[in-house]
Amino acid sequence: MSFDALVAYILERLPELWLRTGEHLMLTGCSTLSAMFIGIPVGILLYRTTWLRGPMMGVIGILQTIPSLAMLVFLLALLKKIGVMPALIALTLYALLPIARNTLTGLEEVSAEVMEAAEGIGMQEYQQLMMVRIPLAAPVIVAGIRTAAVVGVGIATLSAFIGAGGLGQFINRGLALANTNLILLGAIPAALLALIVDFSIGAFEWGLRPERKRDKKGSVQSLMRQLAFMLPVALVLIGIVTYFTKPGWISESATQLETGHRIVRIGTKNFTEQLILGEMMAQLIETKTDLIVERRFNLGGTMICHGALVNGEIDLYAEYTGTGLTAILKHAVISDPEEALHYVTKTYHERFDLQWLKPFGFNNTYAISVRAADAAQNGWNTISDLKESAKNLLAGFTAEFAERPDGYPGLRQAYTLQFGDVRDFDPSLMYEAIRNNEVDVICAFATDGRIAAYNLKPLKDDRNFFPPYHAAPVIREEILKTHPELGDVLSLFGGLIDNARMQRLNFEVDGKKRRTAEVVKEFLKAKGIL
Amino acid sequence: MIKLTRVFKTFDGGRSYAVKDLSLSVDWGETLVLLGSSGCGKTTTLKMINRLIEPTKGTIEVNGRDVMDHNPVDLRRQIGYVFQEIGLFPHMTIEQNVEIVPRLLGWSIRSRRERMQELLDLVGLPAERFAERFPDELSGGQQQRVGVARALAANPTYLLMDEPFGALDALTREALQQELLTLKNQIKKTIVFVTHDLHEALLIGDRIAILHEGNLEQIGTKKDILDTPATKFVKDLFAIKRPSIFT
Ligand SMILES: Nc1ncnc2c1ncn2[C@@H]1O[C@H](COP(=O)(O)OP(=O)(O)O)[C@@H](O)[C@H]1O
Ligand SMILES: [Mg+2]
Repeated sequence: MSFDALVAYILERLPELWLRTGEHLMLTGCSTLSAMFIGIPVGILLYRTTWLRGPMMGVIGILQTIPSLAMLVFLLALLKKIGVMPALIALTLYALLPIARNTLTGLEEVSAEVMEAAEGIGMQEYQQLMMVRIPLAAPVIVAGIRTAAVVGVGIATLSAFIGAGGLGQFINRGLALANTNLILLGAIPAALLALIVDFSIGAFEWGLRPERKRDKKGSVQSLMRQLAFMLPVALVLIGIVTYFTKPGWISESATQLETGHRIVRIGTKNFTEQLILGEMMAQLIETKTDLIVERRFNLGGTMICHGALVNGEIDLYAEYTGTGLTAILKHAVISDPEEALHYVTKTYHERFDLQWLKPFGFNNTYAISVRAADAAQNGWNTISDLKESAKNLLAGFTAEFAERPDGYPGLRQAYTLQFGDVRDFDPSLMYEAIRNNEVDVICAFATDGRIAAYNLKPLKDDRNFFPPYHAAPVIREEILKTHPELGDVLSLFGGLIDNARMQRLNFEVDGKKRRTAEVVKEFLKAKGIL
Repeated sequence: MIKLTRVFKTFDGGRSYAVKDLSLSVDWGETLVLLGSSGCGKTTTLKMINRLIEPTKGTIEVNGRDVMDHNPVDLRRQIGYVFQEIGLFPHMTIEQNVEIVPRLLGWSIRSRRERMQELLDLVGLPAERFAERFPDELSGGQQQRVGVARALAANPTYLLMDEPFGALDALTREALQQELLTLKNQIKKTIVFVTHDLHEALLIGDRIAILHEGNLEQIGTKKDILDTPATKFVKDLFAIKRPSIFT
């Protein structure tokens, strides 16, 4: 990307960048503040109640080790909400440990001589605490707050997983679209923000230090102190103000509320195909109905999307039959596509009041793929054909596939097949690896654009081992009742997109780095739907 | 008046005694020196007087009342204490350090300020130059003086001084000892002064109590002790190094 193009790229996204940065500051600032309000008193309590220390620090420590995504899913289940609230709670819980621990250590580390003097001159216990121990522990406590805030800037990027915004939204979208520019657009400001937060709390601590007589000589120094004190406060305020004055072009809810139209909230998981399907449904609904669409894209995965749908935080998203069957309903694999769809439709309706609509047509299952050239040379067409040469082949799988029972372990049994060696890859690197001859076989996703673009050949699953993963819109029955037109409109997609077409759409976005909205519009026009 | 009657203190459940069967009394306006080598229980004795430590056995009376019947906070506010480790509050200026007890007692800002200036002058640290400094901007000797000023601030009836000049070089120490002598005559307080230094004891004490391994060897005026040592320990103590100026 040339320099001019880069500048244009950033300028174009500047307003959103500003908003996301503001959201990020708000999330980090408010969670750090509430962690202070809880953590400091807890630290003081622990200091005074020795027997509580072990159990309490244990609990807070365990909170810290919960993986962020698991924590978000858990909070979603608990609060029945996505968005800012669960994100703030999760961030607060993570910030608790450094603050409570530093408060405790700070209080403990105050010199025994000084405390003995405080007691000996006749201070009451609370006076010893308030006038001597806490002021002397303050630098350590502030250091804990500083750690919490800086780490918080990092963790806050994950808030995007549950639709709470922040710079993580760029990163998330960038990861989903394999778009480095977008990732950097989130990651670089996040890193800078961490530095700024670190600096401002450092300045705050400096301002907190007792003012020495010699400092007063220049009033500049004195003024600087005041400023240093205000710095973190200003940061949090900027965040909150930005958050609550969201420009209308980002969040349309305000106008939606004014016009009185019903809003349809569409969710997606965080990968390209989902974004394309989400955008497709959004554009269709926008043109064919007078409903207004809110895009709550890039949610952090199946559990979060499903949870949001069940709790009415979103109204629909595209799910895959295999995923619904195994991940949500915990049912064994059903190999027959019709039967699988029938089962999830019936069970979703009974259990969740959710409706599966007509599938899009493609089947995004695992596709064991090899280079087309190798396939031609060796006459490989089905997975069974690999059996002879498997021990000389190097396989590159995603970590998930290597472990899942419906992945390599099952595959090995179903085909009595054993590859020479298996390496774990990040999904996007896996495709690069086979393209660069570093591995010979990969577990591609059947609709990935790179299958065609990199000249790969998906081998036929002749033993029907892989479960079907047909995508279809899943929608809340409640909104379907009030707006039956949604069902009619979305059924236009039924069988519209086969694997090859989905591959191409994915590649337009993934490979050619085009904008999702543009690609989708083009496609819908070509199909005569728009 | 301070009166100790058969006071014992053990920290290890009776296997050893930091203070063993100690009885002594300090009269109004008198300066009693507790003299003994390190570890003989001097600090423990002082701390028991203001209830920083509670005796294992025996009674300690201050103002004719058992200290255990006093409210410890009120008791401590009547007793100025100069700590062996000084223990100034590092986050407070010298002014704030000196004012702290009057502040706890709720004195008005003005009277606190006047008192602070008076005291800093008394210990030779003019307020204009020192009031706004922090403890770490002072030398060890200057900090010791602030410690003394802090102990005197609320005009306590009693003064407990735990090796207040212990960590100083000889020159500074001598200067401060002279100052204390002057001070003593000016302020008329009941003082218990702890030292391990023979010279200092003889210079400052109206009476001297000699402690050894938790035992009281002898208590009396300079003259008593020098002329009629009660135990062999006392005799040896002064035989080794009988200060010429006092003979
Ligand atoms: N808090 C304490 N816990 C246990 N032992 C102590 C404590 N304070 C003092 N001691 C012991 O009591 C004895 C007397 O100590 P101390 O009164 O400080 O001596 P001095 O002030 O004469 O040097 C020493 O053996 C010391 O180790
Ligand atoms: Mg001592």
